[in-house]
Amino acid sequence: MQPIVSTQNLVKIYGQGVTAVHALRGINLTIQPGEFVAVMGPSGCGKSTLLHLIGGLDRPTSGKVVIEGEDLTQLSDDKVTALRRRKIGFVFQFFNLIPVLNALENAALPMILDGMRPSEAYQRAREWLERVGLGSRLAHRPSELSGGEQQRVAIARALASEPSIILADEPTGNLDSRASEEIAMLLRQISSEWGRTILLVTHDPRIAAYADRIVFLKDGQIVDETVMERRNGEQVDLVVGKMKEIGD
Amino acid sequence: MSLYIKLALRYLSGRKLRTALTTLAIMFGVLVIFGMNTFMPTFVQAFQTQMMAVAGQIDVTISHKTGEAFDPSVLEKVRQVEGVKVVMGSLERLINLPADYFDQDPNTPDRVSTVVLKGIDPELARQMIVFNVVQGRFLQPDDLGAAVITRSLARELGVGVGDTLALPTAVGIADLRIVGLLPERVLPGNEEVLVTLTEAQRLLNMPGKINLIDINLDTLDEARRTEIQQRIVAAVGDAYKIGALESGSEILTNIRNAQMIFNLMGFLALLMGGFIIFNTFRTVVAERRRDIGMLRALGASRSTIRGLILTEGLIQGVVGTIAGLISGYLFGWLLLQLIVPIGQQYLNIKVGLPAISPSLVLGSSVMGIGVTVLAGLLPAHSATRVTPLEALRPSVGQVSFKRLAGFSFWAGVVLMALGVAILISRQAAWLGIGAIFFVGALILMAPALINPIAVLFGNLLALLFARHGTAQLAEGNLSRQPGRATVTASTTMIAMAVVIMMASALSSVSLTFIHVLEKSLGSDFLIMPPTVAVWGSNTGAAPELARKLREIPGVELVSTLRFAGTQVKGVAVGLLGVDPQAYRQLEALSFSAGDPESAYQALESERAIVINGVLAAAANIHLGDEITLLTPAGQQVYRVVGIATDYLNAKTTTGYISQQNLAADFGRTEDVFYQINLKPGADQATVEAAIAQLLKAYPQFKVFSGKRYVEENKRLFDVVLLSMYAMAAFLAIPSLIAMVNTLAIGVIERTREIGMLRAVGATRGQIRTIILSEALILSAIGTSFGILAGLYMGYMAVKAFEAMGFPMMYLFPASGVLAAIAIGILFGALAATVPARQAARLNVVEALRYE
Repeated sequence: MQPIVSTQNLVKIYGQGVTAVHALRGINLTIQPGEFVAVMGPSGCGKSTLLHLIGGLDRPTSGKVVIEGEDLTQLSDDKVTALRRRKIGFVFQFFNLIPVLNALENAALPMILDGMRPSEAYQRAREWLERVGLGSRLAHRPSELSGGEQQRVAIARALASEPSIILADEPTGNLDSRASEEIAMLLRQISSEWGRTILLVTHDPRIAAYADRIVFLKDGQIVDETVMERRNGEQVDLVVGKMKEIGD
Repeated sequence: MSLYIKLALRYLSGRKLRTALTTLAIMFGVLVIFGMNTFMPTFVQAFQTQMMAVAGQIDVTISHKTGEAFDPSVLEKVRQVEGVKVVMGSLERLINLPADYFDQDPNTPDRVSTVVLKGIDPELARQMIVFNVVQGRFLQPDDLGAAVITRSLARELGVGVGDTLALPTAVGIADLRIVGLLPERVLPGNEEVLVTLTEAQRLLNMPGKINLIDINLDTLDEARRTEIQQRIVAAVGDAYKIGALESGSEILTNIRNAQMIFNLMGFLALLMGGFIIFNTFRTVVAERRRDIGMLRALGASRSTIRGLILTEGLIQGVVGTIAGLISGYLFGWLLLQLIVPIGQQYLNIKVGLPAISPSLVLGSSVMGIGVTVLAGLLPAHSATRVTPLEALRPSVGQVSFKRLAGFSFWAGVVLMALGVAILISRQAAWLGIGAIFFVGALILMAPALINPIAVLFGNLLALLFARHGTAQLAEGNLSRQPGRATVTASTTMIAMAVVIMMASALSSVSLTFIHVLEKSLGSDFLIMPPTVAVWGSNTGAAPELARKLREIPGVELVSTLRFAGTQVKGVAVGLLGVDPQAYRQLEALSFSAGDPESAYQALESERAIVINGVLAAAANIHLGDEITLLTPAGQQVYRVVGIATDYLNAKTTTGYISQQNLAADFGRTEDVFYQINLKPGADQATVEAAIAQLLKAYPQFKVFSGKRYVEENKRLFDVVLLSMYAMAAFLAIPSLIAMVNTLAIGVIERTREIGMLRAVGATRGQIRTIILSEALILSAIGTSFGILAGLYMGYMAVKAFEAMGFPMMYLFPASGVLAAIAIGILFGALAATVPARQAARLNVVEALRYE
């Protein structure tokens, strides 16, 4: 089966000469369709950089990023933008909703940007918002929603355009523990019930414990990989143990 | 609704104040351009309507190019032309009636202020036009003192058949018996009073003369009519023209000049609007970096982002333009209302609603919307360069210290040198370009100069706020973004430059005119017709009145002006006949070239002419030139013996010749204006009463005390000056918006820094002081540049007026400079209030978390 994402020898260096920072030093990662993968590691290990490169938000210094057979590094900015629009759904730490649009409009935005008829886009956005439990908050603007609710809108937005993969960058980093737990469970549901592929970057073991597989990064390299047996958040201790092993 | 429009509308409504202010900036520009352009043509149109006779049912009308009366012998030439059916010579004259002439009631303005006295041959006239007499009878060839008028005029005046109509004429009041009424007048134009030709020649003191030839042709075929017309023109010669009488064409040139100056102001206002929009969009892009980055992350292409920003610009451009058009129309209307009293007093014209042409609406709209979109392009482009990562990564206020002297700085230096060279060279034609060079140079040089100037003013403020220790921070904040500071300072600069330019030009104009006014009209009494300066439409008085005035005990000197129209090198010229000896005693003329003594002598002894500066410039005439004047009897060569002006005729193309020559060459002997000086010790009141008694027979004239007239004119001048100053100040307001915006971006970008300052112990007051200092430094830079540019442009404007022929004395606009400094400081402080409060109120914890 063709992987959704595969990276080959991915290297990212910021700056030059003596001030050069090696954020990634040759990452090889493959994600299969339907997989829920969490990337963990201490601050500055390159988790977010990896996510940005896979999402086409940034370009690698060397190496390849292949999304469903297409090498991002070979594409022009416009092509990458189009690919991002169709194949990738983003969920950010700070929700990043457009403040002047309501929940429904925010969720429909990527589809409208892609040229879908607004009525159809709104219909799909409404369905996904209902699925993530916001059926009654469609007309609310971000400022009228709680943090957890805003993140659900962002997740609905990521899902509504039916992307190949969802990239979530610390989606619970700005939430309290209860809201975090709820978002983690939602992501689990998205993966197991709705069959979506998810790449999650987090430093919270309780959230990572919902994933199928956890990849541990340190100093820009993959240092460990663990396939979880139970994927319901119960194996937090296992994750914490691994973190300690790699020295976080 | 499309996504673009929805997002644009939501963002715009989220920042109501800023949206309103930016839209206002666009509105201002459109308002000035559109308003002035609706006002001017209406004014000109009213002027022309009033000045031109209406041709009625007559096929062709011929008049002399000078507008003067001529010998009827030319009728025979026309009669010979094949295809001409009827030819009639007539004599007509516009009679401006004094206010309250008919009803004698100052509370209700007269509805009829002008009539045309038309002398016709009754028999020929009836062959040309069907006169449906509704009451009474038509004129008969031997009628004396009889008139036919329309029913509408009769109703307005409350007279009927058999009643008497009293009209002011050159020979005193003429009592005309109304013998018949014609149907109501339906055409626009003035009501006519028809009398026989002989009667008209007597009343207008033009025996044996006509000034119009009415012709009916024998065909309705257009091609043939054109052909006949051409033959007529060939037959009468090129001293005549087809078309009705036109007087006052010399003042039209003047109005067009004014229109040009106002268009320049409108352009400056729009330019400033452009800067403000540019600035606002930069703020918008800075504020929404995260939103834009996120849209990019979600897959919005660069062109989508550009479209979003431009849509916002377009909406503001469209709204601002529509508002500008509407308020411009109201502005034009208001100006017309203000000008109506002046128009009636001096020009005796009535003005209607502002005129709007589709091309004007289109032109103003293209400018308003075009400037907005153009100004939005650069920020929109910079928005497309926002990377998706900026949505995810904390951003730090950028620091972009510019190198001191880059390409643009040196380009500015070159432009500045050119601008100064043009100023020194005194080439009038180049002055406009010089002003653009100078302003452009300052804008180009500003980024490099911001640093040193910021340091200078920063040090000044440091002394002022010594204990706060915040001025250096403010200065640093400005100099780390010289580009943005430049845009803001430039906006302030243009605003201040306009203020200073207006101040220089106006104070110089005012100084000059008051000087000339006192000199020209300083005599004890003035006797004036209803319209001053547009002499051609006045009914004067035969020389008898002047003789009677001289006989009044206590009168020492009576100097009169007579008028005739002429053309010199194709330029319409108002020719004034003076009595050289009397005029010289009044010292009314201010000479700018030629020796007054010998000039007056030459006027008396030969065909000599003194011209004013406007004419010298318009027709490129120099002292000593021989020029050819078009007269009713052919062409006459006059020698230019002086260039000089008096107050009343300073603005129109005017020449002065002796009354003797005016009578010989133009056949005009009626006086239209009198200046009277008294003997020492003469009793003013007695003399005034005697003059008033004499003028009862000449109600077209009013007597003024010279001093009172000068005072009245000064007051009028002051009102005009004040309104011009108000307009200049009005233009400065939008620059405030730019400053608020720049300061606001600074606060947004530095939220974290401000949080940090607060965290390490800065008080709210100190934060406020930092922002206030930034504002003051910014406005100080803008104001000082503006004063420089304004002084240049003001001096240039004065020189331009001089080049156009107005006598000008340059006055340094000290009060204008002080006003600009005061406005600058005030605006700086005002602009700082909102952003300063915003910064001071930041929650420390949130500010530190802000990215």
